[in-house]
Amino acid sequence: MSELTGGRAALESPAWAEALMARTEADEREAGFGARVAQNQRRVFHIAFGVLGNPADAEEVAQEAFLRAYQKFESLREAQKFRAWINRIAFRLALNRQRGMRRRLTRESAWHAAGGSETLDGTRSADDRILLERLRQEIEALPEKLRRVLQLSIVEDMEAADVGAILGIPEGTVRSRLHTARKLLLEAMK
Amino acid sequence: MTNDCSKSKDELLEAALTGKTAAGLEGHLRNCPRCAQELAALRARRERMDALLPLVAQGAEPPPDFRARVMAAAESAGAGKRGRFWGAAALVGATAAVAAGLVIGFAQRRKEVRTARETELAAAEKLAAWRAPSDVLLKTPGREFLQRVPKLGDSYLHLPAQTPGRQPERAMEED
Repeated sequence: MSELTGGRAALESPAWAEALMARTEADEREAGFGARVAQNQRRVFHIAFGVLGNPADAEEVAQEAFLRAYQKFESLREAQKFRAWINRIAFRLALNRQRGMRRRLTRESAWHAAGGSETLDGTRSADDRILLERLRQEIEALPEKLRRVLQLSIVEDMEAADVGAILGIPEGTVRSRLHTARKLLLEAMK
Repeated sequence: MTNDCSKSKDELLEAALTGKTAAGLEGHLRNCPRCAQELAALRARRERMDALLPLVAQGAEPPPDFRARVMAAAESAGAGKRGRFWGAAALVGATAAVAAGLVIGFAQRRKEVRTARETELAAAEKLAAWRAPSDVLLKTPGREFLQRVPKLGDSYLHLPAQTPGRQPERAMEED
């Protein structure tokens, strides 16, 4: 009986309760963060891939972005806040990596390293593959402001507001730049 | 190609992109089969471009275990952070201990040096103040005069006008 009472006292002790609460909070944090990764991983990967054109680099950048988000997760609990933050940080990290890559090799060779066939399914024609390579080259030749808007706008699930939030420009400017970029591409792709 | 054709180049691009044809361009297209053909080609190209553009960003997918990898990396980063904290704490502690040891050692050494110097100084002062008991016997009559430092223009040979020890002799000479 006395053992039982002692056990109950131990269960009710503040230290035990605090440890349990801390453990629960940590579990909740992990679960919450895991859910955010699942919701955002595809878009984040595509943002990085759109800039880098290389799946391995895109994966590393996406992982780095999520690790940084994990460290700041307390202030990024809200879904919309998390989404905006992770988009921005992934894009910045991808740009930084691209600058580093450019010091070592040209953009064209990076695309070749990615492997053109990896980015197209087997049903695509050879013409489409050639056209896609040309499209990438023409995108690279666009002025930077237009290129950035285009690279982000072609990512699935990215609205003009999302692109504007990443680049720090209004939605109207995003739409206008996107239109100009497409026009230049259409002209160039003769 | 007419002058109107070169003017309508931009309008053709706009029409291909937006799907809307400006009123002025419509009139021109009715009379210019070449521009009408150009517009059709531009529209076809725009469709292909729109189909391929998403592939620039979405041509690859994250690996199926991406989430698991991120979670594992986050967990190890968290553990590493905790480990780094304790590592940093140990490093700070060790540094503080070494610094304290150095300070104490330096202070001790300084104290020893100062004590030795003080002892030496005291001994030197003592030695300087020491007078041999026989010094009194070595006192000569001209000692005071020889110890005197002459002023500018003065001479060692100039004898003082009045020396208390010699006064009786002078008195005898005068007599």
